[in-house]
Amino acid sequence: MVSVKNIFEAVLAFDKEKCVELVNRELDSGTDMNTILNEGLIGAMDEVGRLFSEGEFFVPEMLRSAQVMKAGLDVLKPRLSKMESAKKGTIVIGTVKGDLHDIGKNLVSMMLEGAGFEVIDLGVDVDAEKFISAAKEKNADIVGLSALLTTTMPAMETVVAAIREQGLRCKTMIGGAPVTDKFALKIGADGYSEDAAGAVETARRLISA
Amino acid sequence: MQFTKFFSQAEKDRIHGASLEILENTGLLVRNERARQIYARHGCAVDSRTTLVKIPGKVVEECRKSFLPTYTFIAQDPKYDKTLPGDGPVVITGSSAPNVIDPDTGEERRATSTDIANIAFLINELPGFDVFSISTLADDAPPGQFSLSRFYPALKNCKKPVRSNTPNIKDLEQVLELGELMAGSREAYMERPFINHHYCPVVSPLTMDIESTEAVIYLVEKGLPVYGTIVPNAGMTAPMSLLATLTLGNAEFLALNTLIQLIRPGAPMIYAVLSTVADMRTGNYAPGAVETGMLQMAHSEMAQYYNVPSGGYIGLTNAHANDAQSGYETGINTTAALLAGADMFNMGGLLGSLMAFDFAKAVIDSEIALMLKRIKRGMEFSEENLCLELIAEVGPGGSFMDSMHTMKNMRTTAVLPKVATREMRGRWEDEGRPDAHARAMKEARRILTRENPAKFPPELDARIRSRFEGLVPGDAGWKQTEA
Repeated sequence: MVSVKNIFEAVLAFDKEKCVELVNRELDSGTDMNTILNEGLIGAMDEVGRLFSEGEFFVPEMLRSAQVMKAGLDVLKPRLSKMESAKKGTIVIGTVKGDLHDIGKNLVSMMLEGAGFEVIDLGVDVDAEKFISAAKEKNADIVGLSALLTTTMPAMETVVAAIREQGLRCKTMIGGAPVTDKFALKIGADGYSEDAAGAVETARRLISA
Repeated sequence: MQFTKFFSQAEKDRIHGASLEILENTGLLVRNERARQIYARHGCAVDSRTTLVKIPGKVVEECRKSFLPTYTFIAQDPKYDKTLPGDGPVVITGSSAPNVIDPDTGEERRATSTDIANIAFLINELPGFDVFSISTLADDAPPGQFSLSRFYPALKNCKKPVRSNTPNIKDLEQVLELGELMAGSREAYMERPFINHHYCPVVSPLTMDIESTEAVIYLVEKGLPVYGTIVPNAGMTAPMSLLATLTLGNAEFLALNTLIQLIRPGAPMIYAVLSTVADMRTGNYAPGAVETGMLQMAHSEMAQYYNVPSGGYIGLTNAHANDAQSGYETGINTTAALLAGADMFNMGGLLGSLMAFDFAKAVIDSEIALMLKRIKRGMEFSEENLCLELIAEVGPGGSFMDSMHTMKNMRTTAVLPKVATREMRGRWEDEGRPDAHARAMKEARRILTRENPAKFPPELDARIRSRFEGLVPGDAGWKQTEA
């Protein structure tokens, strides 16, 4: 148990190697995987979230700790057959056709992964077809669309409409500097968030709805 | 006027050398195929699979030889033409915000083509502005007329040079056709191409996109005026070091302008940037930060090193209202840039880091622009301006108030602000304690409730409207009622 606390500390110290090593050691010594997951990795991310909301942690610290958490999670994955049920949902995400700006999208991906979602990141300049085939293949719960340029916003409407047309069961959520809740409403997207932290809340809401 | 400098000559040489190292060793991703072909034809190492292009230093150096020291913004009316650096500081509006602060309700909403018409009229009248970069998008644009719905109301209501961008070549060609219709023929338009194009083809770090790059190639090939702005963001798309962000941005500037010079040696250009530092507490974009001004200063110094005009988006604010923050962010950053010799300022009218146009902000920025121009005019050193005879004539204990010299110079020596108050407190209270925003709004209303003298002649308007069916009205003017 002391070393589960060490996993927690390794995430908060952004020490990927140590985190992976400690997770392996715990598994070898027979510690319950849920304990490692909940008290070690996810517990650490909860603490990261608290520090971030208090202004103690800055964004890069959140990103690094999420990367460490993910490395620890990757060790658990093959052994944790019930991982699927522990997962909170699958989200396919990308920047829309014509837009190469991906910082915001990457941030949202990290935050969603940190919150326990499985995130399929399609990268930048993604057209409707690619969003749809990935959503089908991964049986996605949510498709997330990002745009920074005011001129690429219309591409969001195209993707949302195409998803509707195909009759996919997944929800859509959008974000990016020029996007607003009104715009989301107008193009028929199911969710919108002003920032990355809010995107996690929006995703949780859409999946539980 | 001597400009402020951060760097010694040796340091500038090193920044230039480091920029060349980045382009030659790290290279940049060039998504646009035609751009890759152009680089390849001129001796750059191009990997068509990864799209990575490595530019040898000697290719950049060769292109530097055809860099031009001047750039002219052409207007419909030649008397409004502005040439950098001689006419600098050239002050321009900020552009392409999706929203406007509604002048009646004070609420933020999507901007329309009618807002663009009103903004164009306002900028044409405000004395601080030299160029109108189309401030917003037009949410009411009919299908297929996204850019036309911006350029038509802008050109219809503003005789100063109009500048903006288009999302694709189809829109660009439509806008050029509008220009040709206005000029009377393609030849006449090419004589004086009064639509000034601007793009951000480089997505930091070290990536060139497809559509904007295509537009730049298209325009340079045709001999039409275009320049690009380089936009690295320290902590996000550039290292968390001002010097490294400067150098990376400098490398990106060299990459873009090497491409331009390879297409058409001697094509005019501007060393234009919006280099910023991200607020790492949140990841938020911070164009109002003082480091934006510092980076503009440093880039201007490098522009002088290359002997090309400099400037960019400088004087933007993160504030959402015309409050103290809006004033000090615009004021400090533009002053810093001016003192380092920046020639061009995209500073006017936008709040919330490029998200919304505000009419009162534009009026305030016009006044800030007049102050900047006054600083640049400087102390005007001359024997005459020493006024030794006058000082002797008035003598100790006298007054200069009623001298002919004072009367001759009192309207031009100092900026006479319309927004800044110089009233005593009592009178200000009697007027209902108006703040800068209220006084600026009053000036906007005074201008926009008059008839716009800069409209299209009716027969030209009819010709344009019959060519582009369903075109937005594009008419300016507010109702006479006091809000």
